[in-house]
Amino acid sequence: MNSYGSRPAPTASTFELVAWLFMRLSGVLLLILALGHLVIMHLINDIGKINYEFVAGRWSGELGMLWRGYDWLMLILAMLHGVNGMRTILEDYLSPGRRRILVLTVLYVVSFAFLAAGSYVVFSFRRVM
Amino acid sequence: MGAQIHKFEAIVVGGGGAGLYAALALSKEKVQTAVLSKLYPTRSHTGAAQGGIGAALANVEPDNPEWHMYDTVKGSDYLADQDAVEIMCNEAVTTVYELEHLGLPFNRTPEGKIDQRKFGGHTRDHGKAPVQRSCFSADRTGHMILQTLYQQCIKNEVKFFDEYHVMDLILESGICRGVVAYQISNGEVHVFHAKTVLFATGGSGRMFKITSNAHALTGDGMAVALRRKIPLEDMEFFQIHPTGIYKMGILLSEACRGEGGILRNGKGERFMERYAPTIKDLAPRDIVSRCIYFEVRDGNGVNGKDYVHLDLTHLGAEVIEKKLPDIADFVRTYMGLNPVTDLIPIQPTAHYAMGGIPSNFNSEVLGDEKGTIVKGFYAAGECACVSVHGANRLGTNSLVDILVFGRRAGLSMAKYCRANDFAPLPKDPENEVLAQIEWLRSNAGGEKTAVVREALQCTMMDNCGVFRTSETLQKAQGDIAELKKRFLKIQVSDKSQVFNTDMLEAMELNNLLDLAQVTVDAAFARTESRGAHYREDFPKRDDAQWMKHSFATLSAGKTDLKYKPVVITRFQPQERKY
Amino acid sequence: MKVELKIQRFDPVKDQEPHFETYAVDCEPTDRVLDALLQVKGLMDGTLTLRKSCAHGVCGSDGMRINGRNRLACKELIQSQEQPIVVEPMKGFKIVKDLVVDMEPFFEKFRAVKPYLINEDPPPAKERLQSEKQREKFEDATKCILCACCTTSCPTFWADSEFLGPAALVAAQRFIFDSRDQAKEERLDIVGEKEGAWKCRTIFNCTDACPRDIEVTKAIGEIKKEELFRKL
Repeated sequence: MNSYGSRPAPTASTFELVAWLFMRLSGVLLLILALGHLVIMHLINDIGKINYEFVAGRWSGELGMLWRGYDWLMLILAMLHGVNGMRTILEDYLSPGRRRILVLTVLYVVSFAFLAAGSYVVFSFRRVM
Repeated sequence: MGAQIHKFEAIVVGGGGAGLYAALALSKEKVQTAVLSKLYPTRSHTGAAQGGIGAALANVEPDNPEWHMYDTVKGSDYLADQDAVEIMCNEAVTTVYELEHLGLPFNRTPEGKIDQRKFGGHTRDHGKAPVQRSCFSADRTGHMILQTLYQQCIKNEVKFFDEYHVMDLILESGICRGVVAYQISNGEVHVFHAKTVLFATGGSGRMFKITSNAHALTGDGMAVALRRKIPLEDMEFFQIHPTGIYKMGILLSEACRGEGGILRNGKGERFMERYAPTIKDLAPRDIVSRCIYFEVRDGNGVNGKDYVHLDLTHLGAEVIEKKLPDIADFVRTYMGLNPVTDLIPIQPTAHYAMGGIPSNFNSEVLGDEKGTIVKGFYAAGECACVSVHGANRLGTNSLVDILVFGRRAGLSMAKYCRANDFAPLPKDPENEVLAQIEWLRSNAGGEKTAVVREALQCTMMDNCGVFRTSETLQKAQGDIAELKKRFLKIQVSDKSQVFNTDMLEAMELNNLLDLAQVTVDAAFARTESRGAHYREDFPKRDDAQWMKHSFATLSAGKTDLKYKPVVITRFQPQERKY
Repeated sequence: MKVELKIQRFDPVKDQEPHFETYAVDCEPTDRVLDALLQVKGLMDGTLTLRKSCAHGVCGSDGMRINGRNRLACKELIQSQEQPIVVEPMKGFKIVKDLVVDMEPFFEKFRAVKPYLINEDPPPAKERLQSEKQREKFEDATKCILCACCTTSCPTFWADSEFLGPAALVAAQRFIFDSRDQAKEERLDIVGEKEGAWKCRTIFNCTDACPRDIEVTKAIGEIKKEELFRKL
């Protein structure tokens, strides 16, 4: 028996620490980004103004890359924040084993697909007149 | 059903302060040691000690061990053995430093040293004024000691057998060879073969109705020793602590008065001024408890009832929350009162057995009043009687006692283990225990443990408490004899093997009955008043006849009393005034 | 007053599953729940099994679930409980019998965090100095009585028995923040793991359950903070 009893010896992995920190930082950032999004879409402009032209115009104008970056950051932070949250819940409530691996795999694959599709749309978008 | 046999050089029975300190000392000496405890060690009653540990560190004002020794001897009403007291008071200082090194989180002075506070009976320069001698960690000093020692035992990889109840001592031809224990979780019986055995099993306060003691304090070690013909010393002296929560008996530490708290009778008077003009509320416990009852008898109880008030209201919220937080919590939880603004109803509560298994200052057990040593058998802590407390223990000295003599026990056991081999076990040492268990399981007579126990507690409280007379003691003798007969009809309703606490409580009651008998018989024989033993029919101390320790043995159900002179070195007996 | 108790019973020899039994006892409103339980045991049914010792909240023997919350039976007064008083064993450990659970896994987790002062320097002749301010950093954690009320109230622990649990983390905090200790790094290595402090989801059940009023979640938060600044 080692000095850790029957518990596993420390792994020195910082993954959980980084994940924990990411949740806090991304949470704060998302709050700011989402509030900005809310102000632009619903306070400065109203629902009548927002259509394909509005978004397409914003993404294609002089500040197009900035708006694309803004939206992409929201997408990636929200996805990663949500996926990591799901991961911790699943790891809390599913005991280690094949079922957990399966569910986590589905989660990762689906979220990767969404991320990829989203990123593709954000950066490859061409305005259609 | 047989028994499993284990072999260890040293067996420590009891996981409180004395047992753990001994185990720690033994493990440091590389002796194979096992600790057997009826509870998890951290549940031991050392953890309930509140106020502090007395040691003349002189961190806040001048002090020295000789003054501590004087106070202890005077507090004991001159019945303590002064050679042992001297060792205790000197080693108290080094022991407190060692505890600090082991990690105990003491309260600190502004310079970062261990803080100290006043306590009952502890004085500067032979009684001139109260002195700050008690080293403390808020009002949970005992808890910190217990935790710290348990932590260090884990560090030193001490082997623990938790929830093992020791039922017999294996003793043959004056040599101790081990113990027989009952594993509570599954009902199995184990034989522990050992070179040395330490009993550090604590007190027996559960023989009284109103007590500060845990349910577990049923004097198991003392009773086992008594049945193996080891005498018990000074059993007539049982300390009744003045400040227990009214009706419940939960202890409110003397630290309350050490920090400046005052006792007030029903008229609001600070009555201790009349009885102990110099140190007032900080008089020793036997005196204060008696004074409370004097007040109650004179009609000065609160609302004509049998209690008085502890007044902390003038201390202020800061002192109460910082230095007495647990006390404040008890008062809030159990009485719904706020100690910062309300007076607290208190009543004396049975607290501490000064008597116990006779031992010398190396914690070796004495087999008779002549001082014959029982080889390989040791006792320390409340279950032992060194005797450093004599007829009345001073506050903080129980922690000093368990630590100093717990450690000394460990060291003398280590020495014995190096010099001696295992004495062989007798044939089937577990048979008596197995028979007793079988008897308990199958006995039918309809008597319930809880009912018999309560009857015992009532008679002890009423007839062998703060005031005693030959009539009350005879009444108690009669009651106990009757209760012992009723015990023969005890019926245990849980017959199972798994965690059978019903059976355990019956065993504990059996222990209490034997101890109550020797307590009452020794009290009946002592026709004087000394310390906690107050005979209304003999209200004076009688040094000519009674400057001696009682040694009680049981044979064929009868108590046999012998006596041993007190060791006096420095301080000649004087009248005890405060 | 009349008190109704609904107690979860389980005898491993006879029962497949725990079940509830109801008892009526006569108590003072200021009696403890423990007093009521002992009345049942002493006078009505001797087979009722529970742990108990000090009876005033300092030994930690009688942790159990009372009306859905983890409490010490000796620190709860009858008058402050809704009736019937539902009493169950603590959740998350194997039930040995009735209200007694197997505490071994709990103490094993406690031992895993090296819950003892480590200082290999030769001790000074007197005490090691420590200021009141330094002591206050870990004072709260020293109050722990290892009753397991916190750990067995933690949903994360119920779901994942590998989690060290709040009690062991409190024990770690006590030494990590003690100025006299020299093994802070070693201890942070142990608790700064996936099944250590990072498993805490700040649910605060532990803080609510603690009979010693230790701010358990805060203590765990302090470990996280310490670990964060150490690694980054």
